[in-house]
Amino acid sequence: MKEQLKMLHKRRSKNIFVRLSLVIMVLLIGYTWISGDFLNTSNSFAQRAENIERFLGELQPYELRSGTFSIHSYLSWAKAIMIEKGFQAMHLTLAISVAAIVLSGIWGNLLAITAAQNFTSGFNRDDSRLSSILLTSPTRLLLIFLRAIPEYVWAFLFLSLLGPSAWPLVLALALHNCGIIGKLSAEVIEDLPEQPQISLSSIGASRLQIMLAAVLPVALPRFLLFFFYRWETCLREATVLGMLGIVSLGFWIQDARARNFYDEMVFLILLGAFLVIIGDVISTLVRAYVRRIS
Amino acid sequence: MTRNNTGQRRVIIITLGIAGIWAATTLKLNPSDLLTSNTAIIQDFFSRALSPALDYESQVPSGTDPLLVKALGAAWQTILFAAAATGLSLIGGLVFGFLGSSSLMIGSFRGGTKYVSVFLYATVRLLMTLIRSIHELLWAVLFLAAFGISELAAVLALALPCTGILAKIFSELIDETPRSAAHAIQGIGGSTIQVYFFVLIPQAIPDLLAYGFYRFECLLRSSAVLGFFGYPTLGFYIAASFENLNYGEVWSYLYTLFLMVAIVELWSSQLRAALKG
Repeated sequence: MKEQLKMLHKRRSKNIFVRLSLVIMVLLIGYTWISGDFLNTSNSFAQRAENIERFLGELQPYELRSGTFSIHSYLSWAKAIMIEKGFQAMHLTLAISVAAIVLSGIWGNLLAITAAQNFTSGFNRDDSRLSSILLTSPTRLLLIFLRAIPEYVWAFLFLSLLGPSAWPLVLALALHNCGIIGKLSAEVIEDLPEQPQISLSSIGASRLQIMLAAVLPVALPRFLLFFFYRWETCLREATVLGMLGIVSLGFWIQDARARNFYDEMVFLILLGAFLVIIGDVISTLVRAYVRRIS
Repeated sequence: MTRNNTGQRRVIIITLGIAGIWAATTLKLNPSDLLTSNTAIIQDFFSRALSPALDYESQVPSGTDPLLVKALGAAWQTILFAAAATGLSLIGGLVFGFLGSSSLMIGSFRGGTKYVSVFLYATVRLLMTLIRSIHELLWAVLFLAAFGISELAAVLALALPCTGILAKIFSELIDETPRSAAHAIQGIGGSTIQVYFFVLIPQAIPDLLAYGFYRFECLLRSSAVLGFFGYPTLGFYIAASFENLNYGEVWSYLYTLFLMVAIVELWSSQLRAALKG
């Protein structure tokens, strides 16, 4: 027992950078909770309790508040919302996420090519050419910038710039995910076994030929995995971006909140959660399938 | 790779193409709409990308902090919200990761009554799936309705979905860590909780740490967005400057956000590399 503990103790990480990171993080979290206003409630507890009580009271559908409880009346209430806006909003949310992920799948993987060091240096790692410096670093910087700005911020900016249509939301999701897919795919391209690339390059194949013959076929399953992994997130974000004013689920959630229809708001939020869970299941199944055939 | 697989891949890619076309027609996405919209404003906005404002572009009351100080302050607020939420969700993730781990609750390390722990396991799994499926901004909207604007509510909104994700990841990590030490402790009479805290967690710490940092990175972005709902993070200032048409200021805030996220991303990728090595 003692021996085992000693062994475990010896095996712990001794890296200074790791420890420093841990200490900084713990201090930062401690600081926020000790000095921040998070535990300081500005309005009185009684008022807050009143607020919560009112909120909970309004969760019961308005039309059903006076009547006696029956499952049937709840179902017809839910059905009315679904027919009026639910189905159409889910449909649009799904379409936004699909359009965005297809766009970012195409552009992300194209940018990944120029972000991959081995491609820009002509599949010859020892020789870092000027083209590599001129192409790789700017592409990477662009990708970091694209993914550093959240979807919601992009959507907010584009809605005012482009006017109301589905484009701002699709572009916002596409740009952010382009940054992520570009980074992940570039790492895949760089981590592929170099032997086939080097031998193709030594017999005079061009970069494009190497790309099509030795890189793309091997990397494609990984690209597909990222694609579906990001689609899941896209769907989750697409429900929310509607809050900015395009008729996806988020729009109706915001609308219900503005009218203080909390019953309807919670119903629509749960509908969004349902859509996300379905997307999750589909993505998991497809990714398992992609892994199996690769 | 067989010929057969290439065919299956082709099917996937063609399906994706069809799905893309379906989505574009459903949303009436027409590329020409992008070109014919208000080009003047768009040009105006993007031309300022190269010259972000270093000072306010409109009159401000005297005594206001300089723009860059304000941007740094907003970044600091963004970090505070994200860090507070990270702390909460790490704790929540560890607790619910324990309760949602199949090996601890229904597998070989189970302690306590069988039916109780299976019931607890199923409930926690379901609850975690539900809370991570609701977007942090939707939680924020819910809490705004329930509590009114409150900083604690913002932190909770950030922390809840993150807790759901961390609980899932942690329970998977726990189920996948090597078992020999855990069996040894159990053999000399260690309880399930002792096995969890003194064996499985210490063994999984490198992965937990790496993943925790990655979540901090994500929370940082979400925390910035919370500004759009009235909290003093970067999003608040981006929205305010944009609505006043001070595009230079918008870019200053965007670049601040970019620098902050890029630094944390670099830090966390270095950390992952260090933990792997």
